[in-house]
Amino acid sequence: MAAYVLHLAILAGIYIILTISLNLIIGYAGQVSLGHAAFYGIGAYVSALVSLHWHFPFLLALPTAVLIAGGCGLALGLPTLRLKEDYLAIVTLGFGVIVDLIALNLEITGGPDGLVGIPAPRILGLSFRPPLLYLGLVLFAVCLTLLLTYRLVHSYHGRALKAIRDHEITAQVMGINTPAYKMAIFTLAAALAGLAGSLYAHYITFINPESFGLHTSILILSMVILGGMGSLPGSLVGAATLAVLPEMLRQFHAYQDLAYGALLVGLLIWRPEGLLGRGKLSLKFVTRKE
Amino acid sequence: MFLQQLINGLTTGSAYALIALGYTMIYGILGLINFAQGEIYMCGAFVTVLLLATGQVNFYLAFGAGMLAAAVLGVVLERVAFRPLRGFHPLVPLISAIGASIFLQSLALLLFGPNDRPFPIQFTFSTITLAGITLSTLQVALLVAALVFMGLLVAFVRYTRYGKAIVACALDRDTARLMGINVDRMVALTFLIGSALSGAAGILMAIYYNATYPRMGLLPGLKAFSAAILGGVGNIPGAILGGLLLGVAESLGAAYLSSGYKDAIAFIILILVLLIRPQGILRGRGD
Repeated sequence: MAAYVLHLAILAGIYIILTISLNLIIGYAGQVSLGHAAFYGIGAYVSALVSLHWHFPFLLALPTAVLIAGGCGLALGLPTLRLKEDYLAIVTLGFGVIVDLIALNLEITGGPDGLVGIPAPRILGLSFRPPLLYLGLVLFAVCLTLLLTYRLVHSYHGRALKAIRDHEITAQVMGINTPAYKMAIFTLAAALAGLAGSLYAHYITFINPESFGLHTSILILSMVILGGMGSLPGSLVGAATLAVLPEMLRQFHAYQDLAYGALLVGLLIWRPEGLLGRGKLSLKFVTRKE
Repeated sequence: MFLQQLINGLTTGSAYALIALGYTMIYGILGLINFAQGEIYMCGAFVTVLLLATGQVNFYLAFGAGMLAAAVLGVVLERVAFRPLRGFHPLVPLISAIGASIFLQSLALLLFGPNDRPFPIQFTFSTITLAGITLSTLQVALLVAALVFMGLLVAFVRYTRYGKAIVACALDRDTARLMGINVDRMVALTFLIGSALSGAAGILMAIYYNATYPRMGLLPGLKAFSAAILGGVGNIPGAILGGLLLGVAESLGAAYLSSGYKDAIAFIILILVLLIRPQGILRGRGD
């Protein structure tokens, strides 16, 4: 039982990083990414591959995963972020499909079987195989992510992002380089998703394309919306709720996706700010009438 | 071989074109990507297949009922998931549409189960050889049916009062309202027509692939959106052109490049179009 709680806590931690990263794109830059799980998958696969084939230590594998996931984000963002948010949604969705197909078809990624035997992290001779230690590692990463994003959204740059979200043209007139900002935040979010992917791969030690498909992208999106767009505490709550709740309601497993769909539509109609999207971090923009 | 693939591509492309018409019309009038379009396509196919499976209904009636069900679903969706969110930040209806899409897909999964259903009627079709190409009359029939629907839509938009009113709303909703057009009704009508066409596409493809299943609309829906952008979003002839081109590109790509990446071709084209000519082949309303 205790082991199971630890397992859930680790997964919740990983989802919190994912949710915060997607919330940066949605809640702060006002863009939609529907392929966020692809960056998560890229992080997981890169980290697993460099560990398995080149025997990279964890402390080198993780930054490699973060860099490559971020690089993919930049490469995808360059052609698309200059366009309207709807295009980004569909391009990222297509990107998710492409990454999924690549993982399924390449030999090096193990096709549908995926990769097995990913080593547990070992830092300065200390193995992080015991779940309690791993939880510590994940929590450290969560805190780092939170600190980084908190500092970011409360800085000059964070305010610039919010200006872009609320009114892009006005932001441009104020001298904000909107494409550069959107690109930077998209790259950062992809890199953070890569971080989550690396943490996931070394924890679960076995990955296949199934974990990083459209289903996962939608799950992360639901976490962001539930917690509240543009709310960091909301992301914590949204991610933790949707990571733990389905485990407690196992007998309703078949209805899970149905509930996510209804949740997205229902919340947007009745409470577009999400569970915690009030107060300082609330998003006035979601209720902006034209 | 090449011509054969071309014909195969045109057949699937005609389905993309039919769905793309729905996307393009709805985008034109509301500026919204209706992500649930693929599920409407699925709904049309399911209603027809289930009706035919009872053995009591004739084919044309079942086809009409499938289109009608798709149309009604589209209108209900607009009323429930999109109308309350009109005028909000464009992110909000977009995410709502995604939610609606997941909801409908998992609902179909619960109601009908994950397995493929064959089309209940076996059509006896022959193959004809024309100038060295073997064509099945099935493909010809599907292609003709799709072209008829497209022709009807173009004629409707060009020559009827309601069609012109929809165009007016797409150009400028506020001015259209000042001219006495009931904008809400025109939006509903757009959903009705676009969804009926998607439903028809679903039925045609259910016949072509002989398979109906809850996730059948996912990829055609996404690819049709790529087709709409390829042709120029908001542009009706563009959607038809984009759909057919995409179907052909996909079929040729699968034959000559790699069949494993067949589903990626549409999205690679999409990214290339956005990079090189974001307004589409025929200039659309997107920027």
